Amino acid sequence: MNWGLQLAACFLAAVSFSLLVRQPKSSMLVSGFIAVAGYSVFLLLGQSTLAYFAATLLIGFSCEISARLLKRATTLFVTGAIIPLVPGVGLYNTMRYVVEGDYHQAVSTGAAAILGICAIALAITTTSVIFSAVSARRKRRAAP
Amino acid sequence: MERITVTLDAVCLASQIILESGGETYRAEETVERMCQGLGVPKVDVLALPTGLMLTLTTPEHGTLSRIVRVHDRATDLTRIDQCNSISRQVAQGAMTAEEALEKLREIHRPGKDHRWLLIGASAVSAGSFTVMLGGGWMDFIVSFFCGALVQLVLPPLAKGRVPMQISSMIAGALTTLTALLGTLALSQVHVEPVISGAIMPLLPGLATTNAIRDTIRGDLVSGGARIMEAVLSAVMLAAGIGLMLSMWGGIGL
Repeated sequence: MNWGLQLAACFLAAVSFSLLVRQPKSSMLVSGFIAVAGYSVFLLLGQSTLAYFAATLLIGFSCEISARLLKRATTLFVTGAIIPLVPGVGLYNTMRYVVEGDYHQAVSTGAAAILGICAIALAITTTSVIFSAVSARRKRRAAP
Repeated sequence: MERITVTLDAVCLASQIILESGGETYRAEETVERMCQGLGVPKVDVLALPTGLMLTLTTPEHGTLSRIVRVHDRATDLTRIDQCNSISRQVAQGAMTAEEALEKLREIHRPGKDHRWLLIGASAVSAGSFTVMLGGGWMDFIVSFFCGALVQLVLPPLAKGRVPMQISSMIAGALTTLTALLGTLALSQVHVEPVISGAIMPLLPGLATTNAIRDTIRGDLVSGGARIMEAVLSAVMLAAGIGLMLSMWGGIGL
């Protein structure tokens, strides 16, 4: 498989998606690059449930850090950066198996997709909890 | 107008815009609290839900003031969230008065001119690129590009005509599948799997799901649960649209 082409497509897809959700232009390129980094980790780790988790951890950390550097809300970066990981193939294949009447395959494909979503959500929560705990602590220290 | 009314108007509008633009409910609540702090309101209680907002301000001079705001239309618009954020920060730092904030917020809230063709182009490029990312070739890119453009051409009029979001999700799924299947007839070397999977990527409720989980973890159980249901329902309807079209196509036997 041609990795270079796939990653370039990933960048283009993430940036044009952020245009679609009306992301401010200044944060578009950043979330595009974060998306590429996350998706490469996902491919490197073999597209397993663990790969979803690890890739989202990377995306979450990068987004929180860039949000703090650029003084913007984290959601701005996460929305565009996370979209390449969303299991669209899983959803389509589940539906195809259902239509073909192969419920055994449909259940296992669907379960894998749902697990992927859970892994993404868990990783995003982990980073957001860590970062909000850190900034709360900083604020308490700064206050007299 | 009395100052406290202006304050109430401003904080209500700020959190209403955030909720209408698909922001997290805790962000809407934090915005109200932050702005009230900057405007010298000693006590504020606020409860934001995806579909509405309730708040009560308590001041020594005016007693208790409450307001309920209903939120009907929700569409993702990150620029608006960003603008509200920067206004609420300025108010919190005391760099902006309630009147100035209200005026700016009204400007943001005014329905702006959407660059329709830009959005159609973005949707088309996004769908096509996702297809290539998922291993599609150039022919697949072209078909998926058309799917994306078609979906963005059809969805806004549906939203304007008050068609429920879930129904338009199903229509989008069916439309994408039909276009992809027609593409396999018209052009050789078109693979259905990367085309459909890529073209539905922008339609999947990614932001809704992550926001739902965040809300739930933060203890906003009502809004978290509501958002999860919204996301699941729209994904299921999208899948139903795909399945419907696939089985109809199979029924025709092409």
